[in-house]
Amino acid sequence: MKVPLSWLRDYVPLDMPVEQLADRLAVSTAVVAAIDRRGVPDVDGNLDLFRVGRVVEAGKHPNADRLQLCHVDVGESEPYQIVCGAWNFGTGATVAVALPGATLPGGLTLERRKLRGEISEGMILSERELELGPDHTGILVLDRGEPGTPLSDLLPLQEIVLDLEITGNRPDLLSVYGVAREVAVGFRLELSPPPGRDPEPAGSERVDVAVEDLDGCPRYVGRLFRDVRIGPSPLWLRARLTAAGMRPISNVVDVTNYVMLDLGNPLHAFDFDALGGERIVVRRARPGEELRTLDGAVRQLDSCDLMIADAERSVALAGIMGGEETEVTESTTNVLLEAANFEPSGLWRTSERLRLRTEGSNRWEKGVDPYLAETAAVLGTELIVDLTGARWVGHTDVKGDLPRRPVVSYRPEYASTSMGLEVDPVEQYDILARLGLEREDGMQTVPTWRARDLTREVDLVEEVARFKLEDVPFTLPVRREMTGRLSHEQRLRRRIEDTLAALGLSEVCTPSLAREDADPEALRLPEPISVELAVLRTSLLPNLIETARRNLEVGNERIALFEIARVYLPRGADLPDERVRVAGVTEGGFARVKAVVEALQRTLKAPARYERGAHALLHPGKTAVIEAGILGELHPTVLEGQWGGFELDLVALADAAEEPVQYADVITYPAVRQDLAFVVPLDVSAGALAEVAREAAGPELRELQTFDVYRGAPIRADRKSIAFRVEFQSPERTLSDEDAARLRQRIVDALAERFDAELRG
Amino acid sequence: MSRRESVGTVAAMDVAALESEALSAIASAPTLGALDDARVRYLGRKSELKQALRGVRDRESGLALNTARERIESAVAEREHELRSAALQDALSAEALDVTVSLPGDEVHLGTLHPTTLTRRVVEDAFLGLGYEVIEDREVETTYYNFDQLAFPPAHPTRSPRDTFFLDEERVLRTETSPSQIHVMEAKPPPIYMVSLGRVYRRDEITPTRFPIFHQFEGLAVDRHLTLADLKGTLLHVMRALYGEERQVRFRTHFFPFTEPSIEPDVSCPICELAGCRTCKFTGWIEMGGAGMVDPQVFENVGIDPTEWSGFAFGCGIERAAQLRHGIPEIRPFWENDLRVLRQF
Repeated sequence: MKVPLSWLRDYVPLDMPVEQLADRLAVSTAVVAAIDRRGVPDVDGNLDLFRVGRVVEAGKHPNADRLQLCHVDVGESEPYQIVCGAWNFGTGATVAVALPGATLPGGLTLERRKLRGEISEGMILSERELELGPDHTGILVLDRGEPGTPLSDLLPLQEIVLDLEITGNRPDLLSVYGVAREVAVGFRLELSPPPGRDPEPAGSERVDVAVEDLDGCPRYVGRLFRDVRIGPSPLWLRARLTAAGMRPISNVVDVTNYVMLDLGNPLHAFDFDALGGERIVVRRARPGEELRTLDGAVRQLDSCDLMIADAERSVALAGIMGGEETEVTESTTNVLLEAANFEPSGLWRTSERLRLRTEGSNRWEKGVDPYLAETAAVLGTELIVDLTGARWVGHTDVKGDLPRRPVVSYRPEYASTSMGLEVDPVEQYDILARLGLEREDGMQTVPTWRARDLTREVDLVEEVARFKLEDVPFTLPVRREMTGRLSHEQRLRRRIEDTLAALGLSEVCTPSLAREDADPEALRLPEPISVELAVLRTSLLPNLIETARRNLEVGNERIALFEIARVYLPRGADLPDERVRVAGVTEGGFARVKAVVEALQRTLKAPARYERGAHALLHPGKTAVIEAGILGELHPTVLEGQWGGFELDLVALADAAEEPVQYADVITYPAVRQDLAFVVPLDVSAGALAEVAREAAGPELRELQTFDVYRGAPIRADRKSIAFRVEFQSPERTLSDEDAARLRQRIVDALAERFDAELRG
Repeated sequence: MSRRESVGTVAAMDVAALESEALSAIASAPTLGALDDARVRYLGRKSELKQALRGVRDRESGLALNTARERIESAVAEREHELRSAALQDALSAEALDVTVSLPGDEVHLGTLHPTTLTRRVVEDAFLGLGYEVIEDREVETTYYNFDQLAFPPAHPTRSPRDTFFLDEERVLRTETSPSQIHVMEAKPPPIYMVSLGRVYRRDEITPTRFPIFHQFEGLAVDRHLTLADLKGTLLHVMRALYGEERQVRFRTHFFPFTEPSIEPDVSCPICELAGCRTCKFTGWIEMGGAGMVDPQVFENVGIDPTEWSGFAFGCGIERAAQLRHGIPEIRPFWENDLRVLRQF
């Protein structure tokens, strides 16, 4: 909501610096997104160089067909010679002049200079050059003012506009008057009564309005005007609309927008003669009905859409946008002014479905006060009569049961307790009263414009609290129970992050959504914002590989990445099974990635059994599975060069982790180390041998590491040799040579039996 | 006579002269080798002294000889220590490097943690210190938990597919971490002190300063007699943990469906210290998130008696916090994952 300060001053006497006003409003009411200083810069004497001028002579420039050469009386002894490109004036016109040395809005400083051979001393200004309106087709012709008068006496040359971000619960603040009320509370100022006074009616014609849907349209005030003269609005109105960010169009349309900005109630004006049957019907759309709206689009209507119709067809999308056929145009002479009230949620659904949001719908969908419709109609009437010379000839006010004002009990001591700040009840009551609440005994009656928002005691506490926020102290809760700690998994997650970083992998953060996923059931967004972010991933590896590829493309070296994030495993119509995974991609082949995974297992004390595995992104012969997930060399078609990748389930890793680690006596009785090499058929894996060996030897086999795999002479071509380093150790006694031999023999026997393995001599 | 003779031998030997000669030879031995030669000469098996000792008969001579021997031995040890120290000093001097030369040390390739994680840990630790539990929760939510239980009105813009990623009518990608408040309140009775961290999703176009996925932390406290002042104090603590003890924090009124009153914390801009700059959009303050006292409606929705319990909740963006901590002007680097950027952290 853009609020020009000059407009705000209509209702509250502002004399504080704008920064102070903005700071106070930001704390109590709404974020101030910007303080926009518009118009002529107020720097040393600049304003004095903007004057009223009278054209004493105007004629064609001798050297240019499109230019005029004017002599303008600006209150000095001699007229100034000014070259001008506009032709919408002549001798005798009263104009706005900027003299040489003047700095225009936007920063341009004028100089005395020659234009096509003629001296030009300044500039005759258009409204756009003064930032008073959009018009640049001609210069601004004034209707009064003596030559030499400071222009700032006649025109709002300067304006400060507060740009407020109004929250969804405060439609009353989407109006200058509503903001003025907040300022009045915050600074304890007197608030003027709301604007608008009905002129004398000039007739009593019937205004035919039928509301078929009082739920969707609880109120409809219709007012009829005849002999309307459509034309541009006066400059003050154009300037206010422009400063508030709206484009002036014509007097009647401008009045509807002005009233909306002033009071917060959107209005609409119909060309009365275009209404079939001279009638308004508020109803839901009929099947198959369509409407060409003011923006030129043809809208297919739905039977839920609330429409303004005439006797035959829909003429406007209620509260959202008018129709083209009943639009007020230059030739309009009779106008029906609509000051209605529309219910938010139905209107929101229509605006949602049509993807059509307007200044009007933005207010309706937040819930506008239905009592405001009449105030808005009064101000609209006053302005239309005043600005267009129209006669106000008819009035109707159709309404259903309007909501009652909520009555809420209020205890100032409760407010003080819940704020943690003692505030004098007198001050609390004063804040509520300035906001429009009426107190009787312990009860507060809420004003109509806050009826949706303030229904409970706690809502009223907020009203007081927001004006006392800066005084509330900083304390910490007094507590009897404190139990904060990281869980097992959270601590392991940190350990994993630190370990992977120490191993040279850098953590990345990639989107949960991907272009595609290997799982055809993966959850897909029906309306993604881009094709890259369309499917909820079931694996982290694809995005990591993509990230590695992009790093490769920009020439980064030693690429090694990891990520800890969720995957979303589909479970039909249920919520997906969300698993936290740790995945990595690193330069180097299988051995490198296995080293990383093994290091993780060592740091977590989570031993794992490796088995041959398969994965679409991994090399078919260099892929292993462990209980927590998968690791392997990236498939050569996935990424150029030798890469490793892994993806493990964090919970599975945490479950496997031994915590706390249990002490074993490895000092008192020495270990016996031996190297054992076995010749086995080619298809036997080291992992399988190790597992059987451990089973056969029992707990006294403390360590078993593969240290060599060999194929070639003197071993037969269909066999290979796998060598282990083993350590036998007992926590209870020193193992003798015989003990070691016995353990070794158990291993040899078991492997011979299971795998046809022969111990190499 | 033989006894006299032998005594005479000793006596004939000038012990004092011998000792003096030995001490001087030892003190002047230039190397460990020379020292060893001297030791053999004066203390070895065949040395004059040892021979004299073997032949000694009277107590007095023995005493004199042994005293001399001890002095010589200690001189040898002392000289040896001197020579070894000198040798070590020489070796160390010879090995000396110019440590100020900026040649790389032996390379150890370290990875780095993502700035989001670094900030996440600061937040977690700040809350652990206050006695909060840290939780993570699901990201795909039902509209029931994402909107209804949080008291979002039916026409709230967040309920629109223009603002929120819907999977279907009933499932959405959570728009804030707040549904986890509801899960926790449903799961256990108060008092509750918890902070929830994780990804959230908003239907924003991708720009250098926006990405439709980001991380949030969200805290909830439910206890007897919690006040707005407690919320202000808690956020002050966390903001200072994130941005430094010298930061000022102010609070503005705002609106959220699930809190009443609702406020937003701002921290004083660390770049300009309230003077106004581009980072703070010339306001001197930077918006850090949303907060408020838990709305009684939310308590009623989960079966907590709002007349007995009160609470506060707050949520802030983690990337935003990381941006401010590390001076990262845009959101883009967080998702680009360029190692040249990541390796700075």
